[in-house]
Amino acid sequence: MGRAVNVGTSATFLLHFETFGPSAADYREAFGLFDRVGDNKVAYNQVADIMRALGQNPTNKEVNRLLGMPSADDMTAKRVEFEGFLPMLQTIINSPNKAGYDDYVEGLRVFDKEGNGTVMGAELRIVLSTLGEKMSADEIDALMAGQEDENGCVNYETFVKHIMSV
Amino acid sequence: MDCHNEECSRPQEEEDIMDIPLDDPEANRAAAKIQAGFRGHMTRKKMKPEDKAEGEERPEDRGQ
Repeated sequence: MGRAVNVGTSATFLLHFETFGPSAADYREAFGLFDRVGDNKVAYNQVADIMRALGQNPTNKEVNRLLGMPSADDMTAKRVEFEGFLPMLQTIINSPNKAGYDDYVEGLRVFDKEGNGTVMGAELRIVLSTLGEKMSADEIDALMAGQEDENGCVNYETFVKHIMSV
Repeated sequence: MDCHNEECSRPQEEEDIMDIPLDDPEANRAAAKIQAGFRGHMTRKKMKPEDKAEGEERPEDRGQ
């Protein structure tokens, strides 16, 4: 039974990957899915997303560091081959202090004013757009879709479970 | 920034406006970690098959 991931679709790939866990071949396949040019490389600005597709959650800062602090032009113009990408991915996979359920929950609990397990969606949006690696309004909308109750509150434990389910 | 005057525009009596610790490296580090997790989730979610007719299976949409 071959891995039916041919040029397949990214969805097929991801389903397979989630079912069986990653292997070296999976890393190469994922990489190949992102190669839109056909030169067996991907653009610098795709590297973070490939890592995310492979189950990792790198910060943009980590990726930029691995890419050698590229300029904005570099990000679109420069490309990297799989053999260059793999060690970067390994670094991320092996990085300590990876956030887990508890980290996310505790991070969000900071904004739980009433200590009742919820945060105001509006507050969360502000934090996400002003702190850390700021998220755009579109990113935040996509993230929060369906997460706020009728009072605009988010149950953050449920939210984190949802985040971690994919 | 005194606000003795009730007409002051600073909404002290509204629900807590967060004091967003814009300069706090710890808070920013924590935020970045959370955002990294969120971005990871959203990329993976985008790659999943949609149940609707408009399957988001075209890799062109990703990685840009």
